Amino acid sequence: MTPIIELRGVHRTFVKDRQTIPVLQDINLSIEPNEIICLVGESGCGKTTTGKIIAGLLEPSGGEMLVEGRPISSYSGKERSALRRQLQLVHQDPFASLNPAHTIGDILSFPLKRHKMVEGSAGVRRRIWELLTMVDLTPPGDIVNKYPHQLSGGQRQRVSIARSLTVQPRLIVADEAVSMVDVSIRISLLKMLHELRDRLGLTIVFITHDLALAKYFAWEGRIAVMYLGRIVEIGRTQDVIAAPQHPYTRALLAAVPEADPELTRHKHMLRLRSDDIPKLTDIPPGCAFHPRCPFFVPGLCDETLPHLTAIPGAAQHAACLPLQRGEALQEAAKAAASGYAG
Amino acid sequence: MGLETVATPLGLVIGILCGIVPLAAGIHYKHVRAGIGGFIACAFSGFGCGLIGGLPMIVITYAVVLSYAYVNKQDPFTSRAAITEVNFDESGRERIQRILAGLGKSVRQSFRALTRNKAGFLGFLGIAFFVLVTTFGPLFIRYEGEAHMERRAPGSRVLVAPPSWEHPLGLDWKGRDVLSHMVHGGQRLIITSIQAGLIATAIAVILGSAAGLLGGAVDQILSAIANFILTIPGFPLLIVLAAVVEFDSDFMLAVLFGVLNWPTLMRAVRAQVLSLRERDYVQAAFVLDLGLWHIISREVFPNMVSYISVNLIFTIRIAMYSIVGLTFLGMVPLTEPDWAVMIFTGRQQGVLFLPQASGMLLSPIIAIALFQLSLVMFARSLEEIFNPRLRAGV
Repeated sequence: MTPIIELRGVHRTFVKDRQTIPVLQDINLSIEPNEIICLVGESGCGKTTTGKIIAGLLEPSGGEMLVEGRPISSYSGKERSALRRQLQLVHQDPFASLNPAHTIGDILSFPLKRHKMVEGSAGVRRRIWELLTMVDLTPPGDIVNKYPHQLSGGQRQRVSIARSLTVQPRLIVADEAVSMVDVSIRISLLKMLHELRDRLGLTIVFITHDLALAKYFAWEGRIAVMYLGRIVEIGRTQDVIAAPQHPYTRALLAAVPEADPELTRHKHMLRLRSDDIPKLTDIPPGCAFHPRCPFFVPGLCDETLPHLTAIPGAAQHAACLPLQRGEALQEAAKAAASGYAG
Repeated sequence: MGLETVATPLGLVIGILCGIVPLAAGIHYKHVRAGIGGFIACAFSGFGCGLIGGLPMIVITYAVVLSYAYVNKQDPFTSRAAITEVNFDESGRERIQRILAGLGKSVRQSFRALTRNKAGFLGFLGIAFFVLVTTFGPLFIRYEGEAHMERRAPGSRVLVAPPSWEHPLGLDWKGRDVLSHMVHGGQRLIITSIQAGLIATAIAVILGSAAGLLGGAVDQILSAIANFILTIPGFPLLIVLAAVVEFDSDFMLAVLFGVLNWPTLMRAVRAQVLSLRERDYVQAAFVLDLGLWHIISREVFPNMVSYISVNLIFTIRIAMYSIVGLTFLGMVPLTEPDWAVMIFTGRQQGVLFLPQASGMLLSPIIAIALFQLSLVMFARSLEEIFNPRLRAGV
């Protein structure tokens, strides 16, 4: 199958105070239709920028993005605006993503009318009813004449999702879509997204900093772990969660809190050599993770840039030179565990 | 400029005819009180402005009456029908009624927001008072343009006189009734000030939005012009220009004021646009490919309306003071009757310090001050009317 989106060596830089900040470097990622893929990482790792590039809000500074196997530069202006509709974005903050000046009915009707998705005013209203029912805002009659400020965060996020569905997209980038919603609402939102994906054949790019959420949401899909603008590990969620390879992924997984205090106490904690994340303006040479990495091999990791390749004995790909060599790991891990008092 | 309102008998007939529509609707839908309210509103606006006031008022009042009554039993959104029978098909008539009912509802919400803020409502009443007096007052009080030498009080060397029973606001320097000048002479000042405020605000909003949205060279050039004009002291320049430019109409004065007074608001609008265009919902509109015009008119502008309208009020206020100041200095054509001209002639005729002239001088001064106070207080309510958060309640 042709991937719906393919990023080939995508770079993105921002210029701030005459300083060029490399936010994304050499991102290679292909997304299959109807897939769920999670981008995971700390803030500042470039996951939101990746999402915005996919949604067409940002242009890559280098490399290219292919949609349906065609480079995006080969699309004409008209095709590109049709393309933009195919790729939708759900924002993180449901309090900022809905215009406070309009009712929910208006917010949903604008794209329907503009792109003539349905016939006539009755068609628009029927579609609004369907969309609100689809995102479990029932009865729609109670919602449609309200303003965003009269709804709860969870309800607004549902409206936001309904709005992105008005243009019948093929792919939705959900940028931290549930992180600002009450914990009790999250699961039902995620379930709803799952159902929508099955029903409408959507592809979902789910961006989160929370590995536990990623594990829950993308269990059937894939996870890409990002660190300082690069993907450091990518593979099927089940493989990544069961046997994380890259030391950064291991540390992230170890940091996920468990509800059971017994379990937490006996959990194997991976000791990082440092807790400080380097600045994007000052990315360490070689592997960007080496100042914190417990597997650090002097003379190798701080000089050579690792690439995403298969790891011996694991199903997923990771960008880690000691792992790729498959040697001296145990020693390195032990040394790191004893050398850092946490 | 067509804004002048003069009550005529024909207008009264038009107003009453217009008022029949909401009244009939009110009786038909069994909301007689709303119907009567609509009748009164139509009668007044038709009386004051003729067809220009009457016809829009028919639509508004009819919509308000309809908003109390209209329920389409077929429409799941208005009747909360059972989910199983969703049917949005409606006839053209039903569609118009639904839209009008929605309009009427927002009119009612706006009115409720207006009355909720006590100070703001008081300001609204103050403005309404001056508009009513200057519009309908001339019906009852005849304008006295000629001097009345016979009114000189025995033993007095001047004609000017303090308030008395016959002349509640006193007599001016020619022995004319001050009340008649007050009633006939306010509209011109008020309308010119509103025109001036509208022109300044329109320039500011257009240039500010352009600078904020287009950015780059446009922004730099416009901001430079704004900064340049800001450095010129406004009122003295207005005096100089008023001396150079020969005014043939009040409208020219309004234009001159507008051209000199847009920069402050323009910079504020630019800042607002800069902040609004980065909002998530603007980004969402971009991803949904709703177009630049939609983003300007439906996403950015509605969130600036309350800010702009409050500023419009303040610009009108400043315009009024500028015009009064120019008139006081005698820099504009002095046609009577006019509140500002009354102050000017008071000074020119040397009655400024006569105790008998209190009625002639204090009447326009107090009227102008009260009108200004009403404007400032009304501005408070505008915020509540245009902010959906405040208007629609929690």
